[in-house]
Amino acid sequence: MSETILEIRHLSKSFGSNQVLKDIDFTVRPGDVTSIIGASGSGKSTLLRCINLLETPTSGEVRFHGQNVADKGVNAAAYRSKVGMVFQSFNLFDNMTVLENCMVGQVKVLKKPKDQARENAMKYLEQVGMAPYIKAKPRQISGGQKQRVAIARALAMEPEVLLFDEPTSALDPEMVGEVLSVMKDLAAGGMTMLVVTHEMAFARDVSNHVAFMKEGVIWESGDPRSLFANPQRQETRDFLARFRQQ
Amino acid sequence: MERFQQLASDIVKLWERCGGDYLNGIKNTLILALVATAIGCVIGLICGILNTIPCAKNDPPVKRFFVKLIRVIVRIYVEVFRGTPMILQAVFIYYGLPYFTFNTVQWPSVWAASILVVSVNTGAYMAESVRGGIISIDPGQTEGAKAIGMNHVQTMTSVILPQALRNIMPQIGNNLIINIKDSSVMFIISFTEFFAAHRGAVGATYLYFPSATIEMAGYLTMTLAASFLLRWVEKRMDGADSYELVQADQLTMAAGTYSHPDRGTPFDERSKEERERIRQELKHGRTRGDR
Repeated sequence: MSETILEIRHLSKSFGSNQVLKDIDFTVRPGDVTSIIGASGSGKSTLLRCINLLETPTSGEVRFHGQNVADKGVNAAAYRSKVGMVFQSFNLFDNMTVLENCMVGQVKVLKKPKDQARENAMKYLEQVGMAPYIKAKPRQISGGQKQRVAIARALAMEPEVLLFDEPTSALDPEMVGEVLSVMKDLAAGGMTMLVVTHEMAFARDVSNHVAFMKEGVIWESGDPRSLFANPQRQETRDFLARFRQQ
Repeated sequence: MERFQQLASDIVKLWERCGGDYLNGIKNTLILALVATAIGCVIGLICGILNTIPCAKNDPPVKRFFVKLIRVIVRIYVEVFRGTPMILQAVFIYYGLPYFTFNTVQWPSVWAASILVVSVNTGAYMAESVRGGIISIDPGQTEGAKAIGMNHVQTMTSVILPQALRNIMPQIGNNLIINIKDSSVMFIISFTEFFAAHRGAVGATYLYFPSATIEMAGYLTMTLAASFLLRWVEKRMDGADSYELVQADQLTMAAGTYSHPDRGTPFDERSKEERERIRQELKHGRTRGDR
C-alpha cells in the first residue's frame, strides 16, 4: 500500500479572517472509498473544492501522485481532468443534451474523436441507467436522473479519483436511493472515491475509511465500523448521537 | 379624402421616378445592418471573453498585468464608442484616415467605412450586453466545466456563451433594429442607404411628405421583418419541448422498490405484528396500548 493517489499535507484555507480549514492531513490510496462526515459548515465541501483546486488553498500541499498541484506553475485544467467531481447541485450544462454533456469533456479536453467519445459516454450512461434519456435536456429530467448523468459525465473522463460533494443533499428522499445505488456499484467496481455526505448509512456500509470533520479540523478518522461503533472523541460521539436519534 | 388621393398619386409618381433608388436603398440598409450587427456581436463576444479571464491573486505578475491591461483597453473602447454619436464617429473615421496619412491612404469604399463604424459601435453596446449575459449564467456551469478540465476559452465557447447568447437574443434584436434605423446617419459619408434615397428623391421632386411616407412604411416593414426573424431564431435556439426515450429506465422504474440503506420501503417484508400495528395505527390514529 505504498502507492498513493492523493496526499493532503497541512492544508489550510481562509476566507478573509475566517479560517475554514486548519492543517488538514490525509491520504487517498487507489481503491479507497473515503467518506467525510460532519455537520454543515464544518469545512467538508471546502476541503473537496480545495482538492479539486476550485478553491485555492491558503497554505499546504495537495499532492497528486507525489506532485504538489497547489503549486503556481501547475496546469490546473489538466489536473482536474484526472480528478472527477460530482456536485450537490449537479451543474450539468443546460445548453446540451444528456449525451452531449457526457461527450463534451472527452472531445474538447481529451481530444477524442466524436464517435469514440459517444461510445464511451453511452457505456457510462448505461452503467448509471440513463441511456434512455440521451436526447433529453437537463431541465427535462428529475434531480436523481440529473445526478446520475453528472456521475456518468465525470466517469466518461475516466478519472483516477472521483470526488462527490454531498451528491444526494439536493434530492427528494425518493430519489436518494437511485443515486446511492449507482455510487455503491462504483465502489464495488473498485473506483477510488472521496465522498462528502450526510448519508451515515452509506458512510458506514460502503466506505472503507471515514473522516469526521468539525470546525475545519479532522477530529477522528479510520475504519467505519469501529468509528461508528466506538467513537474515540467526544465531538464524534455528539455528532453521531444526533444522527442516531433521527 | 381628397388629400389622401393626392398623396396616393404623389407616391405613385415618386415611385415611377425614383423606385429603383428606394429599393437599392432598402437593400443597402439591410446589408449594412445585418453585416454590422453580426460583426458587432462577434466583437461583443470577444470583449466578453476577454473581460472574464480569471485572474487570481497568486497568478504571476506578468499575467495579472496583461489581464488588467486588456480590461482597461476594453473598457476604454466601450466608453468611447458608447459615449459619442455614431454620426460623428463616421466623420471622424472616414476623414481621419486620409488626414493622418496626408491623403496617401483613402478608404477603399464607403461600404468599408460604414460597416466598420456601425460594427464597432454595435460591438461597444454588445460588450456590455454580453457581460450581462455571462453574469446571468449560474456559476455552477463554470464549475462543472472546470471540473472536467476545461480551460477558460473552452468553458466560454462550449458552455457559457451559448447560454449567454440565448439570454441576450432580445438585446441582439434591439441592436439589429436600431442599426436598421440608425444606419441612416451614414448619409454623412455619402453612403446610399434608404434615407439617402429620400434625400435624392425630394431634391429632384420637392415631394417631402409623400417621400417620407414611403420611408416610414419602408423602415417599419424592415424592422417588423427583423422582429419576426429574431423570434423565430429564439424559438429554434430553445429546441424541442419534449424528448424521445430510447428505452425504459430501469432505475427509476424500480425507484419505489429500491431499498434505501436508511429506510425501508412500503414493499419490504414485515413481521405480522408490525403489519397489525400499522393497521391499527391507520384505524385509530395511533397504536393502542402504546403507553
